Amino acid sequence: MGDPVLATRSLSVRFGGLVAVDDVSLECRRGRLTGLIGPNGAGKTTFIDAVTGFLPNNSKGSVLLEGEEVFGRSPHVLSHAGLTRTWQTLELFDDITVRSNLDVASRRLTVGSALLDYLRPRQRAARVNEVLDLLNLGDIAERQPRELSQGQRKLVGVGRALVAESSKILLLDEPAAGLDKAETDWFGAQLRHLVDQGYTMVLVDHDMGLVLNVCDYIHMLVFGQLTASGTPDDMRNDPEVIAAYLGHSGVEP
Amino acid sequence: MIARLSPAERVSAAALGAVALAWMIGAVLRRELFFDPVLFGLGSGAIIAALAIGLVVAFRASGVINFGHGAIATYVTYVYVSLVGTGQYPVPPIPNPLAPIEGIAGIEIVDFPTFISLGDSMGKAPALAIALATAAVLGLVAHFAIFRPLRYAPVLAKVIASVGIMLFLQAAVVLRFGARAKATEPIFPNDPVEILGTRVGQDRLWVLGTVIVITAGLWMLFRYTRFGIATRAGAENERFTTLLGFNADFGAGVSWVMASVLAGLVGILVAPITGVTPNFFTVLLISSLGAALIGRMSSFVIAAAAGLMLGIVDQELFRLELEWDWIPDIGIRRALPFVVIALAMVARGESLPSRGALTVERLPEAYVPRITRGRMVGYGALLAVAFWLTVFAPFQYRAGMQNSMIGVILALSLVVVTGYVGQISLMQMALAGIGAFSVASFGTQAGMPLPVALPLAVACGVGFGLIAAVPSLRTRGASLAIVTLASGLAMGEIFFSRPGWFGLDRGVKTTDPPELFGVEFGPNSDFIFGDGKIPTGGYGLFLLVVGALCCISVMRLRRSRLGEQMLAVRANERAAAAAGVNVAAIKLSAFAISSFFAGLGGALIAFNLGTYGTDTFGIFASLTVLAFAYLGGISTVGGAITAGTLFSEGIGIVVTNEWVIDVGPYTAYVAGFFLIGTAVYNNEGIDGFQRRQFHQLGGWLGRRFGRGPAVSGESTDVEPPVTPDEPAAASGVSGGGAEAGDG
Repeated sequence: MGDPVLATRSLSVRFGGLVAVDDVSLECRRGRLTGLIGPNGAGKTTFIDAVTGFLPNNSKGSVLLEGEEVFGRSPHVLSHAGLTRTWQTLELFDDITVRSNLDVASRRLTVGSALLDYLRPRQRAARVNEVLDLLNLGDIAERQPRELSQGQRKLVGVGRALVAESSKILLLDEPAAGLDKAETDWFGAQLRHLVDQGYTMVLVDHDMGLVLNVCDYIHMLVFGQLTASGTPDDMRNDPEVIAAYLGHSGVEP
Repeated sequence: MIARLSPAERVSAAALGAVALAWMIGAVLRRELFFDPVLFGLGSGAIIAALAIGLVVAFRASGVINFGHGAIATYVTYVYVSLVGTGQYPVPPIPNPLAPIEGIAGIEIVDFPTFISLGDSMGKAPALAIALATAAVLGLVAHFAIFRPLRYAPVLAKVIASVGIMLFLQAAVVLRFGARAKATEPIFPNDPVEILGTRVGQDRLWVLGTVIVITAGLWMLFRYTRFGIATRAGAENERFTTLLGFNADFGAGVSWVMASVLAGLVGILVAPITGVTPNFFTVLLISSLGAALIGRMSSFVIAAAAGLMLGIVDQELFRLELEWDWIPDIGIRRALPFVVIALAMVARGESLPSRGALTVERLPEAYVPRITRGRMVGYGALLAVAFWLTVFAPFQYRAGMQNSMIGVILALSLVVVTGYVGQISLMQMALAGIGAFSVASFGTQAGMPLPVALPLAVACGVGFGLIAAVPSLRTRGASLAIVTLASGLAMGEIFFSRPGWFGLDRGVKTTDPPELFGVEFGPNSDFIFGDGKIPTGGYGLFLLVVGALCCISVMRLRRSRLGEQMLAVRANERAAAAAGVNVAAIKLSAFAISSFFAGLGGALIAFNLGTYGTDTFGIFASLTVLAFAYLGGISTVGGAITAGTLFSEGIGIVVTNEWVIDVGPYTAYVAGFFLIGTAVYNNEGIDGFQRRQFHQLGGWLGRRFGRGPAVSGESTDVEPPVTPDEPAAASGVSGGGAEAGDG
């Protein structure tokens, strides 16, 4: 089902003597919600950082976006190429409105377009309205992120990553952190809804419940190594997964 | 953990080693050329080192790069000199509470003291004790009143507060003791001694010895005692050290006292050797900042050694310049340390902050300018008043308006780079100087007409601004403040302080009045309106038009897509990059736009003054401009206008002098005081404060007369929702996210 949108080949990250991501090769296919799980400190966020170009000096290996080698490009170039991400700690732009948060990410700014926009302002992208509608953020579009609830802020983060016109795949870094059970379920349903609409996503979380419920295919990282991969049903019965999560409250039978 | 050297650091270490080797070989062959400067350099190096370790102490205590450190040294030194000389203890200049009554009644009730006499000239020991006690008090005040409340504040607020301390104390010194140099009796024996055939002043060696002893003491204190370790940990993470049972706040307070006493001690020991002027130590402080930075603001030993080295290198280059006349005299000697500092910071920096390096930094709100009918009327009225003041009002008001317009443009340059993108720049007046000196070169010397000369001059400003901005791509926060400071100094040393194209011409630079289509409109040119006294209204009118255009263009910038991306970079560089923003390009364009305004402002200063020298565009001018811009409101056009009003000799000052009280000599003093207050208690500046007041008034009126709240219902006293991933104590400013009222 689907060709790989994103693939890594032997991706490794080293911090001095510490190998945080060790020779990870995996694929994320089109139209799927791929899960990446692992206990705290497994290197999940580091993996995302490396894929999205934030660790140029510490990583090596290969990152393929729709078959094209993109390893070593800087974050903003990758974003324009369609590889976008969210942050565990949200990192919204607090000083500007929700609409502007999306607007910043929606289109590439060149010297020409910046000048044109300066001379004739308020030519806003239709894409921003589309995403605001998609995520039901229309009512709060003119408010600033710090006035919103945590769940709404998470959605703004997702929206900001979705809005790029060329968006091909979205990496979500622990989007459920800080949400309670009900909010997590609601948020998971929103993600599933987006994937069913044709978006391709990677969900990184240590909450097994969320990942098992909404993902199509799951990879598990333990101490930087890819130890197991499979469908949610496979993973539920995988001895490696059970060993890694033994006693973890996130496991659901 | 032992830090691994980056490739850049390895290269520089190898280069340093090679230079050292070459120097040693040279010293064997040509002793007087290579060895003597070391002995002389150790003297100035010791002062640089002593100030540097004080900076490290303060930084370890509260993460502040204290630009006021030199001013503390100066103030304490003057207290000591005064006590030894005349036994007079200076009273800090504070307003006479009875002044209004005295003013109205026309009598003098109390003679408010400026000095308290402690008998005739005092012995050195008691004078030293009293002066150092003063230093201790200053340290306590700095900690409790200023930097403790700023613990979680953005770096910008801390930098501003320390600049405020510098302005305040230096102004206090000038007010109490005058601007002239002072000398005092020696403390150490100063008969020369002979070392390896070279005669040096013994006192310099004593200072050197003192510095070495203090450095060793501090090193041991912070390395081996419970107090030192706890203080170091407290600066890293106050909450955890508190949980472990240490009082981090106590440690920080003690460190501030130590830093301050150390500053005073250095000043007092050095004053007999060099004499002292109000900005003597602040100028030296710049080299010390470099030394402290080489020690990564954490190592006393490296900082002290680097300070000594800087002193030696300076002497060595001085000798070489004398000896080898093929070395071009382009100010490289003075500029070199600053260039080295900038390069070192850049080599150490990262193009994006690393994970975990982020702190919650809330800068003042950058309101979107809203164009409403009420506002248009307001702007129109403001322009009408400005027009009348510029053209028809008495001459002192016209002069004030001219200064204010230029101040507005200079403040706008900081609104763009600091307010919108969050990059601190301490080189704005150096860029203005490039504009001022090149407009004279292109226009007056090369004879180009104004429409050619002015754009060329501004383009020069932008060019240098862009060069100096390259380091900003890899540094941020306090490091960026230092890099821009160093860049500004290097520009000043290379260009303004010597003859040349961008430099002086027989000690000054002269610009002819501006002329367009055969009409001359300089401040001294004839103008059809007004009373004919100088300055005439023509130049003011020109400034008013240019200033208004600049304001409008920055307002449009804020509303544009580029402006939004700038604010995104200011909010979070990593997230901006992930959202597809080219952070480097945005920063460079902000510096370019900022340099455009700075260069333009400088060129306009050139026309305004006609004849000018180096000081107008010096480092203290840059700090003062930043101070006023922050005071007015660093992130709004309204703030820039407010800043221009307050600008030195601006219209606000003129009006105050004419109508209220002659603040003339107290301007810098009062500005420093309010600057500290703004940094600590209200980081939005006067403009943001007014907006809130106006908003609250509107809300109150709305409730009172039942029209409902004026703007979508929130009031400023509602706390913003605090989320788990945000430190709850984040500086407590900018609450509620209120939008701009019509103000």
